[in-house]
Amino acid sequence: MADKKPKIVAIDDEIEFTSMLKEYFELRGYEINTASKGVQGIELINDKKPDVIVLDLKMPGISGDEVLAMVKSKQPKTKVIFVTAFDDAGKTKARLKNAGAYGYLDKPLNSLRELEELVNKAYSESF
Amino acid sequence: MNYYYFSITGLINAIAAITLGLFVYYHNKKSEVNQRYALFNLAVFVWSVGYIFWPLNQGNKEACLYWFRVLHIGAIFIPVCFLHFVTAFLKLNKKKILNFGYLIALFFTAFSFSPLFIKDMRPVSIFKYWGTAGMLYYLFLITFVGYAVYACVLLYSSFRKAEGILRSQISYILIGMIIGYVGCSSNYLLFFKLSFPPYLNVVGFIYVAMFAYAIVAYKLLDIEVIIKKTLVFAGLLASVFAMLLLPTLVIQEYIFRGTGTGGKVIGLTISGIIIMLALRRIENFLINVTDKFLFQKKYNYKELLKTFTSEVLTVLDLNRLVRLTVSKLSDIMKLQSCGILLLDEDKGKYDLVASQGIAERNIALGKENTLITFLSRAKTYLSIKPHEKELHMPQQIIEDMNRLKFELAIPLMTLQGDMVGVLTLGKKKSDENYTQDDMDILVPLARTLAIAINNAEMFDELGKTQAEAAQKEKMAVIGTLSAGINHEICNPLGIARGQCEAFLLNIKDGLYKDKSQGELLEKAQNIMGKVIHETDRATAITKRLSSFAKPSKGIISANINVKDEIDEVLALVGYELKLDKVDIVKDIEESLPLLTGDKKQIQEVFFNLIRNAAQAINERGKITIKARQADDKIFIDIEDTGHGIPENKLEQIFNPFYTTKDPGKGTGLGLFIVRQVVERNHGKISVKSKVGEGTTFTLEFPLEVKSKA
Repeated sequence: MADKKPKIVAIDDEIEFTSMLKEYFELRGYEINTASKGVQGIELINDKKPDVIVLDLKMPGISGDEVLAMVKSKQPKTKVIFVTAFDDAGKTKARLKNAGAYGYLDKPLNSLRELEELVNKAYSESF
Repeated sequence: MNYYYFSITGLINAIAAITLGLFVYYHNKKSEVNQRYALFNLAVFVWSVGYIFWPLNQGNKEACLYWFRVLHIGAIFIPVCFLHFVTAFLKLNKKKILNFGYLIALFFTAFSFSPLFIKDMRPVSIFKYWGTAGMLYYLFLITFVGYAVYACVLLYSSFRKAEGILRSQISYILIGMIIGYVGCSSNYLLFFKLSFPPYLNVVGFIYVAMFAYAIVAYKLLDIEVIIKKTLVFAGLLASVFAMLLLPTLVIQEYIFRGTGTGGKVIGLTISGIIIMLALRRIENFLINVTDKFLFQKKYNYKELLKTFTSEVLTVLDLNRLVRLTVSKLSDIMKLQSCGILLLDEDKGKYDLVASQGIAERNIALGKENTLITFLSRAKTYLSIKPHEKELHMPQQIIEDMNRLKFELAIPLMTLQGDMVGVLTLGKKKSDENYTQDDMDILVPLARTLAIAINNAEMFDELGKTQAEAAQKEKMAVIGTLSAGINHEICNPLGIARGQCEAFLLNIKDGLYKDKSQGELLEKAQNIMGKVIHETDRATAITKRLSSFAKPSKGIISANINVKDEIDEVLALVGYELKLDKVDIVKDIEESLPLLTGDKKQIQEVFFNLIRNAAQAINERGKITIKARQADDKIFIDIEDTGHGIPENKLEQIFNPFYTTKDPGKGTGLGLFIVRQVVERNHGKISVKSKVGEGTTFTLEFPLEVKSKA
């Protein structure tokens, strides 16, 4: 169990960001797939059935909210962690948590390690 | 030397004397001074008429003697008539001397056609015939000189006692008469075998000119009307006569030597042609000369009022208002100098802000200045005639008067009773004094000017308040941009930070153990490249934002590229729009000319309109930005597919505090300020809208911006 690593899908319109995550998590033995648009992301989720999704909120096309709603309805076990540069004094954070988001981190990330730990924590709680 | 010269001097003197004499007489027939003056001029006229003809009859002894005697009748009366005028003018009682003078004159007149007065005609100097003095002639000369000198002595002693305007009047009469007497007395030299022909006879005219000047400048004989026309007419008449006379006589004398009427007719015809050709030029010349050197046209009150109400007082730009006032006043009233001092509240001083004909530029009078305190307390104008300057004025006022070159200072009082400035008027070019008529128009004019200045100052203040409001509005709008801006800044920073952290963690976790030094170096280089790129991205957006947030400094540039400015605005709001699922379509003509205006303000206008358009779109939508040139204007449309504005609300959208947005989304100042800013940049804004289909705002900017302010 401890050696099993979560399967991740990261969706963010900043390709540099997702590619950075991909490199970091892959080096550490995670399976990670990335998408830069909501639509591709949903396909990816349906296809890969990830354990944890790292998601941006504001994206052109389908937004993070919509992706979360879809995940909650179709794959309720999958944990969703938002990583977003949306600063509105915690309102959005509370709303997303209510909508079923597991975690919420601000951009820029305090640390990649923190994200990795949150991903693992979410994965461990999904059983 | 031709005799005609002497004839013409007589002609000039005759016309000048009779014209001025009649003018003065008809101006006030009842005034004794005017009557005496007219009588004196009549005597001069008689003498001058005789003087026209005696030189013309040098070939005929009898005729020559006849005219010589006629002219002496005038000469006999000149001194006593002049004395009479002088005593009337100076209000002196010299009845006995006058009566005696007239008696003697009558006595000489009785003998003037007898040999006792002029004995005979004989060749003297250049003349074929000149009179020989009879016994009485010497007696006549004595009384002539006696009365002339006596009149001058009376004038001089009054002059020494006189003050102000009277002093000036007397001085002109005295100088004029001395010159006249000396010039005309050159006639007497030939009687004493002094071979100096009376060339100076022509200066007799000068006393007329000096009188005319004194009338105009110093209200001599209480005459205020400009006599320019009279003078022009007299000059014209004299020239025409001279022209008519000269060719006729020349032709008669030299070509047809006494052949009778045939010669005269040809002479007259030639003269007629010369007159017809030259008349207009002479008239223009005379009008010019009198306008420039002698008298200025009386200004037209109507023109003054019209110019001020239609052109000047409506100006809202303070600088332009004062400059225009000074230049128009100087032009219309023909002033030598004019100025406006305006109160600078901060400095507590009245600065000379506009002037004409005042050499010194930086004049500032403090509130404690005597002139300023006087005007602000008296709330009425201060008029100082140049002659009274030395009289009862405080030294400081005289100094300021000399610096500002004014004769009249009118306080500019607002309705609240504050003195916002001072209008100073210098001497009129015509040398006339300011009359009650002038004051009747200048005082209300100054009052209106004060209101106009007050308005312009308030408008200026309003402009500043508007600019502040616009700035606040902008800051408020920038606040709502935070989502987009945060995204644009935090994303690059997140990437930069993540790249570095990942590299360090990878080393720490031993994940790069199998990598060579070269591979690691390459990796590090790659990461640093990315970090630089991302930090540049974040820097660019902060720079853009801070430049946009800074208030406009009112710098006008003539090279505003509409496309660049729209791109700049889209760089700020574009991401936000993308997130809101709004598509942007740009349709901007390639060769669009550059605009003139305040670049920052134009940017703000685009910014507001594009943001408004985005906010009008609820779900998905499109904003189309079009720019095109038509004629000498640039049209910019900002078109959205939003909810549209109902027709009954379209009129209100440019009103302050009117908003259709949800609470917290708009202050209601946006479009109000947009319109002000557009108008300040000489543009226009209009709107078309249909509910459910969308709204189009159209901006219209002229290509050639003419300075309107």
